[in-house]
Amino acid sequence: MFEQAISAMASVVVDPYLLGLIFATTILGVIIGVLPGLGATTGAALLLPFTLTMDPVHAIAVLATIYVSATFAGSITAILINTPGTSAAAATTFDGYPLAQKGEAGRALGIAVISSTVGGIFSVLILCFAAPLLARVAYEFRSPEYFALTVFGLSMLASISAGGAVKNLIGGIFGVWLSTIGAERVTGIERFMFGNYELYEGLHFVPIFIGLFAISELLVQSKTVDKIIKTVSMKAVKLPTLEDYKKIWKTILRSCGIGTFIGVLPAEGATVASMIGYSEARRWSKNKKEFGKGSIEGIAGAEAANNAATGGAMVPTMVLGIPGSGTTAIILVGLMVHGLRPGVYLFTEQVEKVYQIFGSMFVANVMFMLMGLYAAKLFARVSLVPTQILWPIVFALSVIGAYAFQGQLLDVWLALIFGVIGFFARRHGFSVAPIAVGLILGEMVETNLQHSLKMFDGAWWMILTQPLALMFLVFAFLGLCGPMIFSWITKQKD
Amino acid sequence: MKNIYLIPLILSIFSLAVIAIALQLDTSPEMIVGDSMQARSFPIFLMILKLILIGILTFQFYKNNPKPIALEKYHTWGSMFLFLLFYLLTVYTDMFIGIFIVIFLMSILWGERRIWVAFLTATITPGLVFLLFDYVLKIRFPRGILMNLYYG
Repeated sequence: MFEQAISAMASVVVDPYLLGLIFATTILGVIIGVLPGLGATTGAALLLPFTLTMDPVHAIAVLATIYVSATFAGSITAILINTPGTSAAAATTFDGYPLAQKGEAGRALGIAVISSTVGGIFSVLILCFAAPLLARVAYEFRSPEYFALTVFGLSMLASISAGGAVKNLIGGIFGVWLSTIGAERVTGIERFMFGNYELYEGLHFVPIFIGLFAISELLVQSKTVDKIIKTVSMKAVKLPTLEDYKKIWKTILRSCGIGTFIGVLPAEGATVASMIGYSEARRWSKNKKEFGKGSIEGIAGAEAANNAATGGAMVPTMVLGIPGSGTTAIILVGLMVHGLRPGVYLFTEQVEKVYQIFGSMFVANVMFMLMGLYAAKLFARVSLVPTQILWPIVFALSVIGAYAFQGQLLDVWLALIFGVIGFFARRHGFSVAPIAVGLILGEMVETNLQHSLKMFDGAWWMILTQPLALMFLVFAFLGLCGPMIFSWITKQKD
Repeated sequence: MKNIYLIPLILSIFSLAVIAIALQLDTSPEMIVGDSMQARSFPIFLMILKLILIGILTFQFYKNNPKPIALEKYHTWGSMFLFLLFYLLTVYTDMFIGIFIVIFLMSILWGERRIWVAFLTATITPGLVFLLFDYVLKIRFPRGILMNLYYG
């Protein structure tokens, strides 16, 4: 197994086509990352239709590369124009931009590049070791365990970064309901189709995701057309000095651990990881006063954590079929579309493909480091593309991408409708990621609940007698009610 | 009533409508369903959960009194109108005519003052996307005025 894994990962380096693809996608990912509003999730949603005709490994490598490179690239604009290219880079603005204003933009970018690369590579290594181990545990799972696990995954939506807990849960339930549209899998009874037989097999993820992430973002961006962007000048990206390394190595290591752990948690992602990475860097720092004024520890803490979350988020996605973030939800759809069923099967029957994907992520981390060091200045210029040119292009890519998935105009209309729904949801403080995660997990929840009920002759409480299922349900309960109980106890003490 | 309460109201109406529709769904014989659930049960269960959460949300609104959300800019409404225009153009003329007109109008609506830039964006983008999807990805586009000329 180990030998097979190593040779599969190494095969990425000797496959010129795949290397070329990763190189081109890294450039695209960095461009997507530096364009404010067009983050990793939107980028992956737009690119998904383009991967339909590709080999499965190449397709997932493209999506994973977009994920890691766009997550890093958000820091370029965070540092140079005080506008995070992705939400995961929001914490980088706290110290990156002040440092750039002091005339040290190159140093700030250098710290961000190195921290992101270390974080990304660390998490890929953890992914390589943790995923097969978790898959071995998951081998024991039956329907009650999977049902409890998906409930746990849905409960984690409560703590997703944007929106409040209640709003996120409402979004998640709406997503689960969307998964019930179409013919019911056991009885074949048509649900909520209103005579539209194109919906017989249910709503397809691709057009819905294009709508929720890309079209809704277009409408959000329509409110920012008057915004004037000011850039900070920069000569070149500077590698951190020995003095800098001495100051930040502990922070980077800590953030690697934090980011990977948070990434592994279902429904959490790079944004939460970077915020916690930043606040922990501040908590442990000897120079707390520097934070907010251009601390390199602050940049390193946030950047190492957000890229470490990318590998972490791939663990539940590939092993359990539970996405760790909005972008991994799209990667999960990519896996399904290409016939790679996430779970134990993937790690027993298709080990080679799995490790080729991991190897691609490793290579992508190295490539974005080189691009960050040598071409960040050039990429920063991309962020100045006028919104009135960029977003109409995104519209064209979205509608054609939605159509290309199945060759049905209905998918285009669905993308536009869900774009409008997603926009109004976001306008009123609901994040769209829970809807996407709910849509993916919906089928798993219902099917496993049905199977569990059949297993236990309709006695649903028997699910609680399964130790692993009970553990996940307790976690779900704690995830939902823990913060409330904790704050109540604190209030009582006060 | 404050406009923030419109959100829970709309969500509640939606949930109740789903329950009402779910109750109209066919039931399957006992021998098929067995000890499992009827097709209607799961959506109804979801909507009940949702109604409980909407209740909590309304209580939160009452307690925290959030600021009402301002109306959207004309750019946003205009963009949504362009989506509708795209639908009509695609259904009655051709998808690529729809894309061309919408990109052109969207550029102008969003503040592009140079007509030729908007025109070039509207021409080059669908052109390149068509070439990529038609030649490389072998996707067949829906028939319309332009596609009938192309496919014959």
